[in-house]
Amino acid sequence: MTNASATRGVEAHASAPWGIRLDGVSVRYPNGTVGLRDVSVDIAPGDLVAVVGLSGSGKSTLIRTINGLVPATSGTVEVGGRRVDGASGRRLRETRGQIGMVFQGFNLAGRTSVLNNVLVGRLAHTPLWRTLLGAYRREDRELAFEALDRVGMLPKVWERASALSGGQQQRVAIARALTQQPRIVLADEPVASLDPPTARGVMNDLRRINEDLGITVLVNLHLLDLAREYGTRMIGMRAGEIVYDGPAASATDADFAEIYGRSVTAADRLDR
Amino acid sequence: MTALTVPPRPKGRWMPWTAAAVIVAVTVVMCLPGFGVGLDIAAIARNWQQGAVRIVELLAPDWSFFPRTVGPLLETLQMAVIGTAVGAAISLPLSFWAARPTNPVGWTRAVLRGILNVVRAVPELVYAAVLVAIVGVGALPGIIALVLFNVGIVVKLVSETIDSSDVGPLEAGRAAGGTQSKINRSIALPDAWPAFVSQTLYVFELNVRASTVLGLVGAGGIGLLIDAVRTFYRYDQLSLIIVEILVIVVVLDTVSDAIRRRLV
Repeated sequence: MTNASATRGVEAHASAPWGIRLDGVSVRYPNGTVGLRDVSVDIAPGDLVAVVGLSGSGKSTLIRTINGLVPATSGTVEVGGRRVDGASGRRLRETRGQIGMVFQGFNLAGRTSVLNNVLVGRLAHTPLWRTLLGAYRREDRELAFEALDRVGMLPKVWERASALSGGQQQRVAIARALTQQPRIVLADEPVASLDPPTARGVMNDLRRINEDLGITVLVNLHLLDLAREYGTRMIGMRAGEIVYDGPAASATDADFAEIYGRSVTAADRLDR
Repeated sequence: MTALTVPPRPKGRWMPWTAAAVIVAVTVVMCLPGFGVGLDIAAIARNWQQGAVRIVELLAPDWSFFPRTVGPLLETLQMAVIGTAVGAAISLPLSFWAARPTNPVGWTRAVLRGILNVVRAVPELVYAAVLVAIVGVGALPGIIALVLFNVGIVVKLVSETIDSSDVGPLEAGRAAGGTQSKINRSIALPDAWPAFVSQTLYVFELNVRASTVLGLVGAGGIGLLIDAVRTFYRYDQLSLIIVEILVIVVVLDTVSDAIRRRLV
């Protein structure tokens, strides 16, 4: 009995969102390209932050620095009080296990089932022998079913990932991130490959996991109307630097012109 | 009507012709006696009567020989099946080890690929001959020879498939906090599986063919019998064995084709 309540206590704690703190972070890729230039930013737990900027502005690098997919060349990266820069091996994997990620290209394993793809979200919490045998715990499967249900993809659970449409694949990818029971969800241009109505559906899913589950969400976008509509806070990036930081709803076309370094056109909106 | 301005055609049209001329010239030089292999086409004309007798013998298989061929034929098939299964079991993990997306540690990849290049350079008949001297006459040296031959081929082809596959899904596994082994199992394996099964079926067909001749060096199977009947000039019995091998190969080709179609 005491054991059960102790476990429940840990789970309640596990759902508490994390903040993100970058302090003087610079990223220089091996080929010499500078991804980030002395970026410092503090994101509160439970925020939904839209990161906007043109391609090559560094917004993708910013998001990948947070879970260590791209190592910071200098400066410190902290999520939920844990250092990401300099972390490696088990410590880095444990931190990544708490951070869900959604990609522009969905990044599902096309030849396997939706369920197996979503169970990838449990990798950090599953012993190697279970993974090798494909014998996931019942609780992990339950988490996968719940996550799929949350994005409306439960009916597709046994289908091959490659058989789904783009929007459905992105929903499955969101379910994969949710199955991690993450404290942060990072989304790198999640709607850039989708048509406008589907894009809105995916953005609504991201907003719901932020509002209903309280998870901190950081989403890269290049369309200003989506950023304005869905973000609570907006960070604008240009040439690896943060050039705008403020509430998303009140961002003006002039602000976007400043971020993009040119005047805003119809192509910068989802609904033209 | 204005004439269209077609850009000038690029130079280099003579290339295929030159290449063909070079190949023909090299082949002719290699056939010359003294310099090349000294091909004596007249030998065919001189010996044609002998050849005709052999061909007539080959056209009349000795069906009464069938019972004696059953045992060695089964052994040949068993060697091929065991060699393929063991080879596949070894090849699967090694394929991930040899590919860049599934093994980020460069030097281990280089070492494995180096070893596999050496393994592939030796023909399976040479393996069998050497192994017969080490472990003795029988099916065992034949099976080990097949395994070495299979691992060399399957790991190369499957790891190349993995190398050219999309790394995005693997990155998603890394972002979720998986170790490389877990990522390989849950994400890379499903995508590499059709290539792996297809290559394994392919080497199984090769194994059936190869294990018919391994007996020539004493490594088990029908090859031993082939050697015996050939030594006694029993071309009618050799003919029966050839027909049997032909039937087996055709059946296996059909079956593996059907499996492959279901797979992709």
